[in-house]
Amino acid sequence: MEQSFSLTSELRQNRLVIVTSGYINNIGGEAIAKEFDKHFANNVKEIVINLEQSKVVNSIGMSFLLEIIEQLHDVQGKVVFTNMDPAVEKMLTIMGLFEFAGKAANVDDAMRSFS
Amino acid sequence: MAGTSQISREALLDRLSVQSAAVQESLRKLPKTPTLKDLAGQFAAGFRPLFPGAGVDIAHRLSGAPTWEFIVKSGAPDAERRFSFGETEASHGSHETPGCLAFVHPLSDGSRVGLALLMNAPAGGYTEFDLASFRLFLHLYDQAYQEMLSRKNEKGLVFSMNHRILQLNSLIDTGIEVASLDFGDSPHKLALVRAASLANASRGIVRLTSGGEVRETHTFPEGAAVTVSANRITSSFSFSGDTYAFELFDKESRSGPGPFEETDQLLLDALARQVHAAIENRHLHQQALQNELLEQEMNVAAAIQKKIIPVSLPKIAGYDIAGVNIPSKSIGGDYYDCIPLRDGRYALVVADVTGKGIPAALLVSSLHAYLSAYLEGEQLLADLVSRLNKVLFRASTPDKFVTAFIALLDPATGELECVNAGHNPSYVLATDRTIRELRFGGLPLASFDLDIPYTSEQARLAKGERLFLYTDGVTEAENERHKLYEEEVSITEFLAKHATGTGEEFIARLIADVRRFTGSAPQSDDITALYLHRLP
Repeated sequence: MEQSFSLTSELRQNRLVIVTSGYINNIGGEAIAKEFDKHFANNVKEIVINLEQSKVVNSIGMSFLLEIIEQLHDVQGKVVFTNMDPAVEKMLTIMGLFEFAGKAANVDDAMRSFS
Repeated sequence: MAGTSQISREALLDRLSVQSAAVQESLRKLPKTPTLKDLAGQFAAGFRPLFPGAGVDIAHRLSGAPTWEFIVKSGAPDAERRFSFGETEASHGSHETPGCLAFVHPLSDGSRVGLALLMNAPAGGYTEFDLASFRLFLHLYDQAYQEMLSRKNEKGLVFSMNHRILQLNSLIDTGIEVASLDFGDSPHKLALVRAASLANASRGIVRLTSGGEVRETHTFPEGAAVTVSANRITSSFSFSGDTYAFELFDKESRSGPGPFEETDQLLLDALARQVHAAIENRHLHQQALQNELLEQEMNVAAAIQKKIIPVSLPKIAGYDIAGVNIPSKSIGGDYYDCIPLRDGRYALVVADVTGKGIPAALLVSSLHAYLSAYLEGEQLLADLVSRLNKVLFRASTPDKFVTAFIALLDPATGELECVNAGHNPSYVLATDRTIRELRFGGLPLASFDLDIPYTSEQARLAKGERLFLYTDGVTEAENERHKLYEEEVSITEFLAKHATGTGEEFIARLIADVRRFTGSAPQSDDITALYLHRLP
């Protein structure tokens, strides 16, 4: 069953890689948005979000992800989601997140997709 | 308060058309701004070139909000007091103080925007034209604000619609997943996760209770403290003594937790129903598998029993013998046989084990095996039956016993040595159609092991006489009105009435008459009979 939320992040070649764990709800979405804002202010425009340890996302969590996608789209940036559980991928697809966001099997593939 | 302007829109546009390219660019971008922050920023960017060196404050106040929220700040002191003239929701207009000209303008959604220009008034003060320019800019701000709200609403509607599609899709997927019979996890656990996430619940719990005792508890997120909240929805169902109770707490929103919507309750109920159906189906499936297994075992037992019941009876010189066994289920509890002995005699046996199915078949099998073995030795029939009683008592459960009629026939003389172990009487039909009962012996076999001796009864079958052995499946055959065959037909009278023909013919007549009586009623008990005619 899904655990409470936590995340880690790192910068790789001026790209932000966020690894989430647990339920992406209001708390989880806000934490991701905060982490994003911090680096977006420093002109980081390419983001990878690894969802391997997040099997459940609710619509509030998705609204935060959408905002990140929109903000990056406005500045010709991009977010790529990786390591998604099929159920999560289906959810994000139905909610239209991949209209302006990418998806990749893993973080390395996502990094290559930027270049 | 400054006065209202009478200047025409055309004159103002003529004046604006000569402003800098930066102003025009800002005004062009204004309607496309995605957020209030962007809108106010773009507005300030378009406004500043008109008043070089002036500071600009822009604040926003939602209907009912207690304070102004500053979106663009000049950094000049006393910003909070700048729009104090517009405290009430109805108040708007402009207010001039030394070094500051402030406007409060109503917006289309009931909120208000405050605009402050921080500069000294030009010599001679602000003209009507200046004030009209400000108001026109504020109208442009309002139009852009409306467009921004409209886009936001549109996005919200699309998001909401997608969420509904997601909910329906998940409902279908969850139904398929929980119905999957090789699904390893508990279906109620999966349903809790789906319900909580689709209804945007902060947390949830499902409890499985049996007889008032909680057997399982799952929380979502796992390990979350289940604090009770007034914002909650519940759904539960019971099946086979187990109650599954789902609870979701605090619907999430960007502005904090709140009550659930009616559709959330419908969603939770639908998921609970899916789990209910899945558990019920799984139960039925298991039952079907068990029945299938039982049926296979029954078929094996029936095959074994068919080997015990004789396919044909031995031919006895000077006698005509016939028998029948029609089980009411695939495995019956009746048994009959005619076993030739080494000394030339024959053992005639009819027995009835209580119950049907595999347990009865096992006891019939034991009876057949022990009787066959004991008949190999030379001993009195009463002693043989006593030994039989002991071994069957040990081999059976307390609720099982056997009634039996066993007779040893000396075919040369027609002498019969009989023991009736709790069975219904057997009959000897004399040539003058009188009937003698054979009823002595003792208690049913396997019922007690009290060393109560069995007694045998001697009889003789004279030439032309007939012996009839049967089980109560004949006399107690039921019709649709639950009447017994013996209530309509006396078996002894039937025996006397049909005292002609062969044994086969008698048996056929008997079965036909029983069938006539029972009609379409299902066969209530095994039917077994053995008929021996000493030929004249």
